[in-house]
Amino acid sequence: MTGTTVAAAAVRPPLRAYRAYARISARTVLTYRLNFALGLFGLLFQLLALLSIWGVLLRAGNTVGGFSWPQMKAYLLIAYGTNAIASSFGDMRMGFRIREGLVAIDLTKPVDFQRARFAETSGVAVVELATTAGICALVVGLAGPVSGPAPGQTGLFLLSLLPLLPLKFCTVYLAGLACFWTQNTFGVSLTRVAVTNLFSGALVPLALLPGWLQATAGVLPFASITATPAALYLGTATGTEALRLLAVQLAWAVGLWFGCRLIWRVAVRKLTVHGG
Amino acid sequence: MAQIEVRGLTKVFRRPEKDPGLVGALKHLVTRRFRDTVAVRGLDLDIEAGEAVAYVGPNGAGKSTTVKLLCGILVPTSGQVRVGGLVPHRDRVANARQIGVLFGQRSQLWWDLPVRESLGLLRDIYDLSPQDYRDQLERLDQVLELGDLLPVVARKLSLGQRMRADLAAALLHRPRIVYLDEPTIGLDIAVKDRVRQLLRGLRADGTTLILTTHDLGDIEDVCQRIVIIDGGRALYDGPLQGVKDTFARERRMHVQLADSGPEHAGVLAQLLPEATVLAGEQPGEFVIQFDRFTLPAGRVIAAVTRHTEVVDLRIDEPGIEDVIRRVYSGELSLADAP
Repeated sequence: MTGTTVAAAAVRPPLRAYRAYARISARTVLTYRLNFALGLFGLLFQLLALLSIWGVLLRAGNTVGGFSWPQMKAYLLIAYGTNAIASSFGDMRMGFRIREGLVAIDLTKPVDFQRARFAETSGVAVVELATTAGICALVVGLAGPVSGPAPGQTGLFLLSLLPLLPLKFCTVYLAGLACFWTQNTFGVSLTRVAVTNLFSGALVPLALLPGWLQATAGVLPFASITATPAALYLGTATGTEALRLLAVQLAWAVGLWFGCRLIWRVAVRKLTVHGG
Repeated sequence: MAQIEVRGLTKVFRRPEKDPGLVGALKHLVTRRFRDTVAVRGLDLDIEAGEAVAYVGPNGAGKSTTVKLLCGILVPTSGQVRVGGLVPHRDRVANARQIGVLFGQRSQLWWDLPVRESLGLLRDIYDLSPQDYRDQLERLDQVLELGDLLPVVARKLSLGQRMRADLAAALLHRPRIVYLDEPTIGLDIAVKDRVRQLLRGLRADGTTLILTTHDLGDIEDVCQRIVIIDGGRALYDGPLQGVKDTFARERRMHVQLADSGPEHAGVLAQLLPEATVLAGEQPGEFVIQFDRFTLPAGRVIAAVTRHTEVVDLRIDEPGIEDVIRRVYSGELSLADAP
């Protein structure tokens, strides 16, 4: 048995393999620029709709829930950006591969399945990040002044962006894994988008939600995706509260990553590959 | 220890059983019923390094499932699998390094990218040095003629082109063990020949080959050993020649007699009680069916020539395809095979 363990350790997949997955998924996205653009267009439309609604509500120096108009613009841009990262329907793609039995081919490769999917998500995220930055710049140019980060909060805000990718990845990956149990890839994906939108604060700031929804959001991981970076940027969470939010975020990222691995171990036993 | 060791391997799939329509779907939500399908049933198999084994059986016999169990894609319901000392489903990643897999009906190429990109990705996945990559690509190119395919987006390849590119993808890292699931399905003769040439080359290099196929030409061309399975069980496991000796013993001798009287059939039948005599297509032509182990061909010829003048004769030897066709159609049971 020791022999096997040594052999298994010796062939730990090289980083190069995962970089290749990231490269190839970025290339695929660029090959299908139109698809990708249409995917982002949905989110952009949501951003423009929210901007125009809040623009009316917050005109002439009003505040709602403590948000001024420049602050709300910053919030909506953060919501848009955190929503756009790792949004390109990785769960649909994975669901398709599970349903069509193509996952069998993925499993013949000497790479860890979850890490390979994470690498793919990361590759696309680079493209998403570039387009998101462009769109944010455009909105700032068109919609006028946006609040800068609250004093002393820039570092904390940037720190909160780091766990974003694994967090987003895990929610999408979990939705993909659900396709081992249900064949309805599309429904799962839509549900995932709706739940993430609501409980992350991307649709409406969590502070404006009714108490019971806020409480629910408090025990779910989604707030770490949008509400946490926004709170750190705007300075509504400072000091120890800021550190607590960062710790919660990190805990979710790590917890979900290993939770996904556990679920994968169960899911893969359910794998039925059709055709012979 | 054999390179591939399979002991009592069983795989049961559990499929939901739903009544038709929306009502059935809703009912399934409340009362879940499942049907167990046994895809592989207590399979034992030993394959030595460098063997070329044909793994054949009718559709749904459990061939692909076995290959997927050997790859570590599927987890066995019970029984053991060891491939090169590894348990595939537990050491899936380590096992994946030593094997090359081709699923003829599914491509492992990245559908939206040129073939060259897919191969480049595989180069990185298998951590090949630039030198190894170039050398192996060149070797594969000699047989598969990849040159024209490399810049083409995989989705635009014809089936034959796709299979050539897929074979290159499966063999790029020079695996010690290669599983090929229907490698020549849907290919024209020219491409088939090329694929078989490649497989013979692999065998000559000492690669272990397991070939799942319906194409019996593949088998006769490449493999020395054949495993016939049906209902998830191995019905026969032995040398290809052995199958022929056991199940393809029947010979058909076509004789053209000088004179075409219909009475010859009866006389010949009397002379050769162990054989079956049928009238042929031409007047004066008869077909004599006999078992070559109980009745040597020489005795048949002697009997016929003693009786009357023979103008022409030929003997048909059934190929392995006859045997397997008869197994598939349920006509021949291999249950009592040696």
